[in-house]
Amino acid sequence: MRHLLSVLAATALLAGCSGGGGSSAPASPATPISNLSAAAQLGQKIFSDASLSASGRQSCASCHAPDHAFGPVNDLSAQPGGPNLDTPGFRAVPSLRYMEKTPAFFFAADGTPTGGFDRDGRAQSLAEQAQRPFLAPHEMANASKQDVVDKLKKAAYIAEFRALYGAGITDDAEQAFSRMTFALQAFEQEAPEFHPYDSKYDQFLAGKVQLSDAELRGLALFNNPQKGNCAACHPSARGADGASPLFTDFSFDNLGLPRNTRIPATADPAYFDLGLCGPDRTDLADRKDLCGAFKVPTLRNVATRKVFFHNGAFNTLKDALGFYVRRDTNPEEWYPAGADGVIVKFNDLPPEYRANVNTAEVPYNRKPGMAPALSAAEIDDVIQFLGTLTDGYQKP
Amino acid sequence: MKLNKKLIAVALGAAFLSAPLHAGASEKELKARMDKMAAELEELKAALKASMQKTAELEARQQQIVAAESNNASASTAAATAAATSAATATATSVATNVATTVATDVATARAETARSASGTILSGYGEINYNRPTKNASAAQTDIRRAVIAIEHRFDEKTKMVSEFEWEHGVVSASDQGESEIEQLYIERELNNGLRGKVGLFLIPSGLLNTNHEPTAYYGVERNFVETAIIPSTWREVGVGLSGDTAFGLTWDTGITTGFDLGKWDATSTEGRDSPLGSIHQEGQLAKSRDLAFHGALNWRGVPGLLLGGSVFSGKAGHNTEGFAANDARVTLYDLHARYTPGAWDLSALYARGQISNTEALNATFVGNPTPVPKSFAGWYTQAAYQLLKSGDYTLSPFVRYEQFNTAKSYAYVPQGLGVETGPDEKVTTVGANLKVGEGVVLKADYQKFKEDKSRDRLNLGMGFAY
Repeated sequence: MRHLLSVLAATALLAGCSGGGGSSAPASPATPISNLSAAAQLGQKIFSDASLSASGRQSCASCHAPDHAFGPVNDLSAQPGGPNLDTPGFRAVPSLRYMEKTPAFFFAADGTPTGGFDRDGRAQSLAEQAQRPFLAPHEMANASKQDVVDKLKKAAYIAEFRALYGAGITDDAEQAFSRMTFALQAFEQEAPEFHPYDSKYDQFLAGKVQLSDAELRGLALFNNPQKGNCAACHPSARGADGASPLFTDFSFDNLGLPRNTRIPATADPAYFDLGLCGPDRTDLADRKDLCGAFKVPTLRNVATRKVFFHNGAFNTLKDALGFYVRRDTNPEEWYPAGADGVIVKFNDLPPEYRANVNTAEVPYNRKPGMAPALSAAEIDDVIQFLGTLTDGYQKP
Repeated sequence: MKLNKKLIAVALGAAFLSAPLHAGASEKELKARMDKMAAELEELKAALKASMQKTAELEARQQQIVAAESNNASASTAAATAAATSAATATATSVATNVATTVATDVATARAETARSASGTILSGYGEINYNRPTKNASAAQTDIRRAVIAIEHRFDEKTKMVSEFEWEHGVVSASDQGESEIEQLYIERELNNGLRGKVGLFLIPSGLLNTNHEPTAYYGVERNFVETAIIPSTWREVGVGLSGDTAFGLTWDTGITTGFDLGKWDATSTEGRDSPLGSIHQEGQLAKSRDLAFHGALNWRGVPGLLLGGSVFSGKAGHNTEGFAANDARVTLYDLHARYTPGAWDLSALYARGQISNTEALNATFVGNPTPVPKSFAGWYTQAAYQLLKSGDYTLSPFVRYEQFNTAKSYAYVPQGLGVETGPDEKVTTVGANLKVGEGVVLKADYQKFKEDKSRDRLNLGMGFAY
């Protein structure tokens, strides 16, 4: 009988776990996550310190504006920089939100290039990524790391910097510079405003709000493998571990974008930005099959942007989506005609790399004369859905 | 001492059984026999006494040595006297260790001898290798080491045992291969004083006919039937506690509280959930989410020889109160009714199973556009007839036919604007084939399966299986 009782007791104990609200467990205090580490607090100051640039007028926050989801505020294809803020750039500024889970670059088991920072994935960490803008001639345009550190020495927060990293830290420019980028990384990883997960879509996933009819139709088109097929690269579902979707699978794709003449470098017919295979990235120069492939960005906050794709070829979501579904059915809408009158598709790539463009998957797998994967009305629905990915949604 | 009495009783019983009394035997013969038995009993007693003495001696010796080891100083002094060398300590320790080992082994052997009737470890296992050839697409023919299982059962005493099954599937298991290595059962069962059986650990849910009886020698056809893989997710096991008992009139009952399913694992982009809804969200004791536990109960009646009638129900929530999850109130419920009748050479069975997943509207809204939303209900049934046609020596040939009908997505929760997925028709599969048993442990199988809806799945199957 004793055995029976003990089994029943265990049964009752287990049964107890499945009911009730776990009232016996102490409630964890709702501590605000804004308690940044000392490094992150320094990073926050460095992030918005324009005095660290050659012009004295450009900080990280100038291009990655906190009130624009850490993306650009304007519709320029690429932001200018340099000592006089008139040196043209080459690529559109990405949002810095939701970068905290991006893995360092690697080739997946099936050979898919994956992860990394910068549009070509060449930086292995946020800290490494943070180095480039300080030194790039078309961005903050410092002559050297020493140059950056010399400016840092005059910053209001230099005492904090030395208190954290040692009084003599600024004597070694290499070390001091690496601490600056480390602090920036800490800020980007820790500060909740870089990954709030509070869009309407997040609340919808949690079952707290409903999407409007158009938004829901848009989501269905976004997910549908035969329609938008967007989720194939921009996953929209929670992970098996419950992780919120990032709307990127960190892979790279070659979309065959039209050449954007608003980027001044394109005036040189020999200029091509080939992403993974160069010229900015150098370690994959031999992988000609990867020429033209760029990182799939998150689509969170995409509706706050005014410039799309790595070369900023489009300024509206309508054009961006139209390009996806009509690129192959109506190439004349996107590409110029050659001297012979024939449309030159994928004209931002040298002819030998145009075969690298993704033409196999939905919605690209079409030819002129076929119906686009999405109609104009359907594109409008998808745009409505993409609007639900904007952070800071307040339930009316 | 209790144990010894029991041993004697068992020995006596065995002796009586091995010496059947003939009605026509003479009194003299009978007396001679009784004398002989009395002598054997005396011998047995003596042997037992000797064994007990030996055990006591060995235990005493072992205690002495343990005591000596615990006192290093005195041990080394004694050793020094004996050996009178500078290496004496080391030698003594080594000698002491050897003696201790020998004694320990002897003690263990003696104990094992004494308790042989109650405890023991049994190694068993089963395995199957299958060949499938789709008749309309021979290039998809496949051969697979479906599973190899090693089972270890250890009986601690008459009432307590541990049951375990270790399984490998699909031949090769590594990060880049498709095989799986898994623990299929791992539980302790204890027979309680009132005749009930208590279980704790990872055990099979008593659902349907196949789940708890899934060795290849136990079922007809190369592949397990669809209803008991797609609807009942065989081999289905959960971690928890269970209680079983038998009542008069041949009724057996099982009940328990266990882990359940994790709906958070549902992948609307893959077809896995369409192949087996519960198979795609089972947890198998792998870091299983346990905020929500599940209840199960089963009744099986064997009141008429050859007949089994039974049913089961399993129910538990599957959201686990997960932060930011839209289906925390979802509940998985699965029930089945089954019957098996084995008159003479016939083996007839039938089964109906139905599963439900409730409160999935909000979750399925997040899956719009994807091919595999969570079904609201899924169900199936089959009926099967096998006949032992030939029996020659070790060989038994049993042809069989099975008809089954099932649908892994019979209905979906409401999704607005017609954005949901259409439910499909029930798939209907007819399987015709035969099992050729070689002895009791080996089976060769062949069958042909015809699909009514997706005709591309028609296939020929060959398989070998064994269980020991």
